[in-house]
Amino acid sequence: MDHAPTRPSRPDLDDLTRSLHVPLERIAVEHADLIEAVRSRVVTNDSVPSGIVAVAAFNSSI
Amino acid sequence: MLKVHSRCDLSCDHCYIYQHADQTWRGRPTRMPPATVQAAARRIAEHAREHELPVVHVVLHGGEPLLLGAAGLREVLAELRTAITPWARLDLRMQTNGVLLDDELCRLFVEYDVRVGVSFDGDRAANDRHRVFAHGGSSHDLVRRALALLRRPEHRASYAGILCTIDVRNDPDRVYEALLAESPPRVDLLLPHATWDHPPQRPGPEPTPYADWLGRLHRRWVDDGRPMSIRMFEALRPGGGGTEAFGLAPADVLVIEADGSWEQVDSLKTAYHGAAGTGFDVFDHSVDEVARHPGVAVRQDGVEGLCVTCRACPVVDRCGGGLYAHRWRTGSGFDNPSVYCADLLRLIDTVDAYPPPTPPASGEGSTTSPVDGLLDDLATGHGSASTLALLADTQLSITRALLAACRDGSGTTAAWELLVHLDQVAPEAVRAILAHPFVRPGLVHRLDSSAPPGLGAAADPLPAIAVAAALRAGVPAALHVPVRADRITLPTLGSLVLPGLGESAEVTVRPGEFQVRGGPVAQTVLLDPLAPPSTGWFPTRDVSVPGGRLLLEDGDPYRDCYGQPVESRLDGPAARALGRTLAAAWRVVHRDVPAHAAALDGGLRAVVPLAPDPARPLRSATARHAFGAVAVTPHADPETMAVLLVHEWQHAKLGAVLDLYDLVEPGQGLRIRVPWRPDPRPPEGVLQGVYAHLAVTQVWQSRAAATDHPDASAHAAHFLAWTRDGVDALLASRSLTATGERFAGQLRHALEETRVGSR
Ligand code: SF4
Ligand code: SF4
Repeated sequence: MDHAPTRPSRPDLDDLTRSLHVPLERIAVEHADLIEAVRSRVVTNDSVPSGIVAVAAFNSSI
Repeated sequence: MLKVHSRCDLSCDHCYIYQHADQTWRGRPTRMPPATVQAAARRIAEHAREHELPVVHVVLHGGEPLLLGAAGLREVLAELRTAITPWARLDLRMQTNGVLLDDELCRLFVEYDVRVGVSFDGDRAANDRHRVFAHGGSSHDLVRRALALLRRPEHRASYAGILCTIDVRNDPDRVYEALLAESPPRVDLLLPHATWDHPPQRPGPEPTPYADWLGRLHRRWVDDGRPMSIRMFEALRPGGGGTEAFGLAPADVLVIEADGSWEQVDSLKTAYHGAAGTGFDVFDHSVDEVARHPGVAVRQDGVEGLCVTCRACPVVDRCGGGLYAHRWRTGSGFDNPSVYCADLLRLIDTVDAYPPPTPPASGEGSTTSPVDGLLDDLATGHGSASTLALLADTQLSITRALLAACRDGSGTTAAWELLVHLDQVAPEAVRAILAHPFVRPGLVHRLDSSAPPGLGAAADPLPAIAVAAALRAGVPAALHVPVRADRITLPTLGSLVLPGLGESAEVTVRPGEFQVRGGPVAQTVLLDPLAPPSTGWFPTRDVSVPGGRLLLEDGDPYRDCYGQPVESRLDGPAARALGRTLAAAWRVVHRDVPAHAAALDGGLRAVVPLAPDPARPLRSATARHAFGAVAVTPHADPETMAVLLVHEWQHAKLGAVLDLYDLVEPGQGLRIRVPWRPDPRPPEGVLQGVYAHLAVTQVWQSRAAATDHPDASAHAAHFLAWTRDGVDALLASRSLTATGERFAGQLRHALEETRVGSR
């Protein structure tokens, strides 16, 4: 088959702005990639390597 | 990437599997045998378990994976889900030519939550230039039929998008229109595979035909208002690097061939026979062993893994040296820029230059994209009202996406249906609840699969959110809401504590009140603040501040996200005292630093009291998941509280930015010495510190100028020195992305102005 697989990147500003006007019910369908990107960036933070403050009280980590 | 079938029903002349240098497919089994599927699934599960990976992406590939047929695919999908799901969330995808796709397969993909990408090169002429059957027949109609199937509402969740390999001999307008007509959620445009040994076709006299062709398509896309997501253009924007073909994200893809051998990414096959091979297989070797293979290891190295030319290139953070395979040249191997280098450079210019920048209202002209605009504005140290509104909107969108992800996980529930209904009839009410800072921590907790399954599973936060939104909207509703330790918390409204409620209670919403029944207990709560207080109901208190109503959040269980103990509910006098201090502190911020006050007005919605600690009486904190809130130890002095608010609000803003952009180069593990702590800090911590201290410097400078505070000048000088040393150390560390460097550079500039402005 062709080429590299499709992988979500980070949540995109345009996507985020557009999705705000999409009814809740349709977000999963129209913004599936955004949801995937938010999952990986926000929930699992699998893009964030060690040494970076992921979920933190910034004051104790600055 | 799993090669489940090694043959294909099409015979595309640009296919790198069959047509390029590597001919290893000839020696491979046609379909991946069940034992190999099982061994592969176990290796992936083993890796997820050992490294506690939150998520694993598996792409079914080929040849043509649909040649396995529905029954064969079902076995593969079931094997993968069974083996991997206990250890990590499994994101399943498939890349297909679509020819064999039918209803039954679509239903299978929806059932197993597989997202399908289809290869399709555009209009008929474009598609059939390469994508044909061995007998030369067109595949165009069949592929379009497949796309139509995926577009159907019942299958749409499985429609990932289109993969389009470009050819400069095609008409870019017609290709664009053909892609748009399929309303794909996302389009991946791919450059034809080529190496320095086999450079790409350049049919005309123009030096950069690929950049010109893509530039034309980009212009159409921008003019149309970017009606679909095109990954290449999004990835090439400043700060947008996010695919393997562009940017420096570590290539974290490994391939399992139909015979079980581990290989590197497929596109390397274009380079030389056996280029992708590692000599390892799933029966005898773990993922970790493959990852140590030198060819794989070098690709994890970001900028350091690139050739000298690319490392010195001004756009390297966006181009990333192009696709790895495109760098191949016999002799120097992969140590070259992309064979598309000239096109890539020019394309980045083209993407930057269109749309042309609107002339700025004042000052010198500059080309700023919205990304730069947002960051530039925040790099002034504070950020305008419109930037704050944009940040708050992105945070709300993220919360909505998390909500939809929760629905994905739990299926449609009564709470979800109520939220969907309210979103239609009373969107403002839903928005107000979702914007509450502690809704996102609850959703994240619920979604976080790194918690071992079954153990401490988080309660479903949706029912309480839906009930709060219904109450706010005044829409009657009834739902079962989980009870935690005799308590139901309705975000923004308050908590009901009634012993004996059991595990779940039925909540009935009527205008202005709600009724709760659980076990033998029943209680009606009136929300009217003038009504007699209802037993067990602890409303969330608020205080009027220049930005609106500020919640004193001491009841929501998800406020406990600051890595330090939060205070339990304050008694009446303590709450009133804290409210008075906060309102006064807010006025102090307006007095000292009006620009920061405007940013505070634009987003701070809740303050969480921290538990007192005699050893550290003055503490404050911000949490990445709780935009719109800060935590403080209740402190009586408004002047002190004002500094805490300004300091923490800086962290909140920068945290929201870091949800969107990478400012720090990933994976360096570097530590930087800073003046404000004895131990060296990671770059992101330094950036956060610098950003907060810049604002605090500005507060003290203003106080030095306008009040008779005896130590204000000394404090100002002290924070100024910290900020300057911090930002210089950060810039010298070379640990920032280009976007991050630009941001830090502007902070440095803002600091100089601060210094000049100080008296
Ligand atoms: S459909 Fe994909 S795998 Fe099949 S011949 Fe074409 S490019 Fe190759
Ligand atoms: S534009 Fe050329 S030199 Fe610059 S990073 Fe890309 S391939 Fe390397």
